[in-house]
Amino acid sequence: MARGTRGITRRAFLGGAAAAAGLLIVPRHVLGGPGQTPPSETFAVGLVGCGGQGGEDVDTYIRGDGAAHKMLAVCDVDRGRMEAAMRKFGETCQGYADFRRLVERKDLDVVSVATPPHWHALISIAAMQAGKDVLCEKPMTKFIAEGRAVANAAKRYGRVFQIGTAGRFGAQKSPRSRLIHKILRSGLLKDCRGVWIHRGGFNVRGYCGRVNLAPEPVPANLDWNMYCGPAPLRPYSSHRFGWSHRYYWDYEGGGLADLGHHYMDPFQWVYGKDDTSPVEVEAYAPPAHPEACGLWGWVELRYADGLTLVLDGAEWGKPYDRKAPRHVEPTDLAPEDLKKVEAMPDPEPLLTFPEAVRSRKQAGGHAEASHRVATILHLSNIAIRMGRKIRYDPVKEQIVGDEEANRLVNQPMRAPWHL
Amino acid sequence: MAETDKLKAILDALPGPNAQGTFADLDKDKVEWAIPEIAKGGAAFVVGLVERLVEPGKGDDVKAHYALHALAVHLSGLEDDKPRAEFARTVAAQLAGDRPPGVKQYLIQQLQVAGGAEAVAAIAPFLADESLCETAALVLVAIGQGAAEALRAALPKVPPACRLVIVQNLGAVRDAASVDALRQALADADAQVRLAAAWGLARLADPGAVEPLLKAADAEGWERFRATEACLTLAEGLLAAGKKAEATKVLTHLRDTRTDPAERHVREAAERALVAGT
Repeated sequence: MARGTRGITRRAFLGGAAAAAGLLIVPRHVLGGPGQTPPSETFAVGLVGCGGQGGEDVDTYIRGDGAAHKMLAVCDVDRGRMEAAMRKFGETCQGYADFRRLVERKDLDVVSVATPPHWHALISIAAMQAGKDVLCEKPMTKFIAEGRAVANAAKRYGRVFQIGTAGRFGAQKSPRSRLIHKILRSGLLKDCRGVWIHRGGFNVRGYCGRVNLAPEPVPANLDWNMYCGPAPLRPYSSHRFGWSHRYYWDYEGGGLADLGHHYMDPFQWVYGKDDTSPVEVEAYAPPAHPEACGLWGWVELRYADGLTLVLDGAEWGKPYDRKAPRHVEPTDLAPEDLKKVEAMPDPEPLLTFPEAVRSRKQAGGHAEASHRVATILHLSNIAIRMGRKIRYDPVKEQIVGDEEANRLVNQPMRAPWHL
Repeated sequence: MAETDKLKAILDALPGPNAQGTFADLDKDKVEWAIPEIAKGGAAFVVGLVERLVEPGKGDDVKAHYALHALAVHLSGLEDDKPRAEFARTVAAQLAGDRPPGVKQYLIQQLQVAGGAEAVAAIAPFLADESLCETAALVLVAIGQGAAEALRAALPKVPPACRLVIVQNLGAVRDAASVDALRQALADADAQVRLAAAWGLARLADPGAVEPLLKAADAEGWERFRATEACLTLAEGLLAAGKKAEATKVLTHLRDTRTDPAERHVREAAERALVAGT
């Protein structure tokens, strides 16, 4: 196994075991002090992925929720990005080229995963196997089976997982949203005629990948093999790296995957679908390219209870006109059933990441919910890529009756990586 | 019109990329006309497309590249399976030709889209090809039927660079007939091969793997995490198979040996599994 760069610190190596220990381990009890945030509120964090979103999640979900953090370690397959992150986070921050060395550290409480999505599941699982709680950028995963594996790991190891989107926290504040949530969770609504249409905001054309990429020399700073990781090893192209990785099936899934997680997270909470997935998916799109994400018009998804969800790209092709939007209304219930729902307690407030870590309960954006959100996006992309209606079993988490489409549910990974 | 001219005419009508190199201006109707037209040409047109493919960066094969994939997807969705099977056999047959590795890789990947058991025999030899073994193994696993036999047969013969790929994918397909080979691989000099073998044996819930996996889980760092995970997976599988004594041995060991506060999560995982299994 090639070992990544060992901890690089800008502090000169002073020699001696005590000094070495001081460089490598920052005990939690020294991170507080008189007049400062109590040690129990200060999270020792390791960041994997030092690009555009690197560090954002710790600011939003730790500092933004009233706790403090100290970035002790950063990791990136691009040496330039790693070193820039080390400079940003200060002298006590060490750099790694291989996330496996980062998760081996015993002094980290949290790993923040901000790589491209094809690495999200593997690094999240590894961090949890190593006893860390996880902040993970959206979309949670690249394919459906990854999400199940992450949720299983969180459960097995009792770890806290929070996805990098928080729309449901806002949604839960609305009394009407809470009522709709209760209606859907009550089981009393037998035939849901709700139609939720999300129109626009996917930047469909902007996220089209290039179909004529030519190989380029791999930059000296970049470990391209490690960047590809579980994804197919293709000739390097600068368009497959950095922001534009989003435009390629190997790493993400276009604007639908990148932006859809933000839109679908509150929807899924409001409509009480955190533990299930659509059963039928149909897309309107041109035949897809094998590597580059491309155009799509809309995707219609239907849940078993009748709820319809439409993702309308609103940029290309004929507009969606099959169904009109329709809210779920309290009057959809019989009066006596509505009374039962109104008498039900409101859903428990969603816990912030610091609250979840302290209490060891699930964070609001926990792994199971995030997996189900990502499943909406992946099913949509599968329907786009296969050009036909997809039927899905949300319990077995398999596509039904379409072997070739089902191959996109659990995509084999390059060794040594596996779920 | 000669066959090659007909195919050329269809490809000429197929939209190409825009000035930015994307399909952001693609005409859906033109594509949806072209692909069934290509399908009508059968094996001859498939070969015609393959002959237009080039190694990445060595020429412009954008349309043939796209058309072959779109054809694979189209045929895989038809009620009648014969056209898909014929496509798969035709593409598989092209692997035997003298084509650049990048082209062969692409052909194998299209068999992941539309290939079935009929393609396995053509893909299997590439398990011993250092530049293509990864692609071949992953596509065989995706196809499923016949994959285990092909991987198992390949293991004793592949060069060292392909060994990890084969071992890992024997675990991916849960090949019970490879238990002995996987047990041997637990002692491999390469740590990644050892971990792949441990993962595979855990997925097979092999009772014979209890002792070696517990020993492997005594490693440090990354190996310890992965081998411990394999132990927990093994225990789960053993419990499901009714092998409670073996599962209890694994879980009790983990519970009792993970005394470092940094491994409390493992101890607790083992405790929960013990409670769930009793």
